[in-house]
Amino acid sequence: MPLTIAQIGQELPIRKIGGKEETRRFLEGLGFVIGGLVTVVSEMNGNLIVKVKDSRVAISKEMANKIMV
Amino acid sequence: MKVKIALAGNPNSGKTTLFNALTGSNQFVGNWPGVTVEKKEGKIKGYTAKGEEAVLVDLPGIYSLSPYTLEEVVSRNFLISEKPDAIINIIDGTNLERNLYLTTQLTELGIPVIAAVNMMDLVRKNGEELNIERLAKDIGCKVVEISALKGEGIDQLAQRAVAIAKSGKNVQPAHRFEGCVEHAIAHIEEAVTGHVDASMERWYAVKLFERDKKVQESLKLDKVTLDHIEEDILSCEKEMDDDAESIITGERYNYIGSIIEDCYKKRVKEQMSVSDKIDRIVTNRFLALPIFALVMFAVYYVSVTTVGNFLTDWTNDTLFGEWIIPAARSGLEAIGCAEWLTGLLVDGIISGVGAVLGFVPQMLVLFLFLAFLEGCGYMARIAFIMDRIFRKFGLSGKSFIPMLIGIGCGVPGVMASRTIENDRDRKMTIMTTTFIPCGAKLPIIALIAGALFDGAPWVAPSAYFVGIAAIVCSGIILKKTKMFAGDPAPFVMELPAYHLPTVENVLRSTWERGWSFIKKAGTIILLSTIFVWFAQSFGFEGGSFGMVEDMDHSILAAIGSAIAWIFTPLGWGDWKAAVAAITGLVAKENVVGTFGILYGFGEVAEDGAEIWGSLAGSFTQAAAYSFLVFNLLCAPCFAAMGAIKREMNNIKWFWFAIGYQTILAYTVALCVYQIGTLATKGTFGIGTVVAFVLIVGFLYLLFRPYKERGGSYLER
Repeated sequence: MPLTIAQIGQELPIRKIGGKEETRRFLEGLGFVIGGLVTVVSEMNGNLIVKVKDSRVAISKEMANKIMV
Repeated sequence: MKVKIALAGNPNSGKTTLFNALTGSNQFVGNWPGVTVEKKEGKIKGYTAKGEEAVLVDLPGIYSLSPYTLEEVVSRNFLISEKPDAIINIIDGTNLERNLYLTTQLTELGIPVIAAVNMMDLVRKNGEELNIERLAKDIGCKVVEISALKGEGIDQLAQRAVAIAKSGKNVQPAHRFEGCVEHAIAHIEEAVTGHVDASMERWYAVKLFERDKKVQESLKLDKVTLDHIEEDILSCEKEMDDDAESIITGERYNYIGSIIEDCYKKRVKEQMSVSDKIDRIVTNRFLALPIFALVMFAVYYVSVTTVGNFLTDWTNDTLFGEWIIPAARSGLEAIGCAEWLTGLLVDGIISGVGAVLGFVPQMLVLFLFLAFLEGCGYMARIAFIMDRIFRKFGLSGKSFIPMLIGIGCGVPGVMASRTIENDRDRKMTIMTTTFIPCGAKLPIIALIAGALFDGAPWVAPSAYFVGIAAIVCSGIILKKTKMFAGDPAPFVMELPAYHLPTVENVLRSTWERGWSFIKKAGTIILLSTIFVWFAQSFGFEGGSFGMVEDMDHSILAAIGSAIAWIFTPLGWGDWKAAVAAITGLVAKENVVGTFGILYGFGEVAEDGAEIWGSLAGSFTQAAAYSFLVFNLLCAPCFAAMGAIKREMNNIKWFWFAIGYQTILAYTVALCVYQIGTLATKGTFGIGTVVAFVLIVGFLYLLFRPYKERGGSYLER
């Protein structure tokens, strides 16, 4: 399922990252890699704050939709 | 001996704090060549006296050395082409895994690296353990524990960094990839031998393996070699069942995972951190906006109305009004200074520049708050909270910060747009930021509200509303043009952990922003006040050129009369209003002062209470509001225009921005006057027709469909 519908507070492994090459690489640099764990900390109108590799990252709904967990 | 050391690290890893701690006040700020990314250089403290010099270059905050963001490209080019003698890699100890990703890339460059593990005090406080010796062995470079915030370990870091820079010994990256990857890389290394610096062979090989376009182009390898390399990559991709770049990324994170296991002891089960708990409340979907509104109201209330207002009044009325100006006047009179010179110095320069400097305390208070909000981590959350709203009209949440700072002064506001990576979003933010009424536009609002609207309480909020509406409409209209078509860049932003910023960092940031404002007062405004004073005091009277008694005969009046017709459709084609609008280009706070002088009152209060009567006589309400709107939206003051030019970094874009702002201001002001006159007096004329045509055109631009991305005009 896309990260946007993941439950808040649940730690989940990343299965796939879609989207443009450029953004995907940027996400990889930030720690979003396949197999890595993410937790949704909070949600606002679809935009998410997620925890990945000990840091908090804010991502837009469009981006979060492309991250499959 | 002179050594050059680069400081590299992730954003939010404490890089700026470390840079300040290492260099103190020996800093030089500039731009990286050709781009608007800020470049900071400084001399490391303690190495200047002994005939030795160690220059520290602060690289932009980056997550990797891939060529996808401007910051990454800038850092990479610097490291490859200028080859610093050493790299200090700052690592956030509380977020090792992510930070080490960059480290694994830096150690491949063949430049000596020293890793500075920051926030060690926090790591210990959290009850976690990090074995530094093992970490050093695992990543293959020297490691120093520091706390940039508390100043721990800084001297040791400086000494060691300079020592390894002088030794000139290369580091060998300790990490190795999976067998078949190493095999391919070894082949590529052989192919590039002789084309690149021997110490950087591995880095080039890895990049070629990743099919990095920029590296491929820079090496100019012949086709046979490239095909050969491609074969190696393809066979490896087949074996690993993944694309080359993902293979490398995966391998790096795997390797980092093994490092962490080897040298890092986490607490058994981590609970929610304090930052997570705060974020639960502050970015909660129901509470986020009310909390944000409350914070903004508090900041604005304190810095503009109470403390700020008190300080500004004191500077204007007491410091300049009672002390400096009378003292200067009597001092000059006492030494028998010529009357015109006294006039120039006191009425022209001191009053003019003083009026501008009066805003400095207010602005410093505002910037102090903003620096604190930035330092503690809340500013990044604001961008997140505002993103969904801003996205609706084509901007990103990061555009909000420049606009927030623009409430104080447009110059640092425009400068703050640098944090927006996406070129289109940044240009649009630069163009629209100055629509927000800045501190200097407040007196104009107060003047119009007081003189024509009996101080009606709706006038001031309506000015902000006009500003916000201009941003929203501009966002939508510009987004539908060819230049800005396409979605705004997806919002991805790291949120730093909440922490109390150091007093030094808050003050430094406050001062840097305030200083950019003071500098403008000292240069552009000083020159233009001299010009305005000269133009209004001299002219042709009685057939000869000289100081004029009646200002109607001055050069300024002549200029004003010559251009006043332009503003007739806006309802204020009077030379005095035209001149006031021109002096507004110099600095918006000049508008009220100019009216004061032109109506013959000399020095007036900030809101121009003395001239309310005269102004009410020569303006209708519709004309006054049109004048207000024009001044709010038109090209900002010279200093802000300078900032726009610098940040656009392109003369065509600069003129486009200024032109757009001025045309928009003219159009809106014209509609306000014509329709306002129709509503209040029932006058219908050709101007009214023009206004309605303009409104229809405006609505068309606003509601026409979005340009299809990748649509016909792109293919053509």
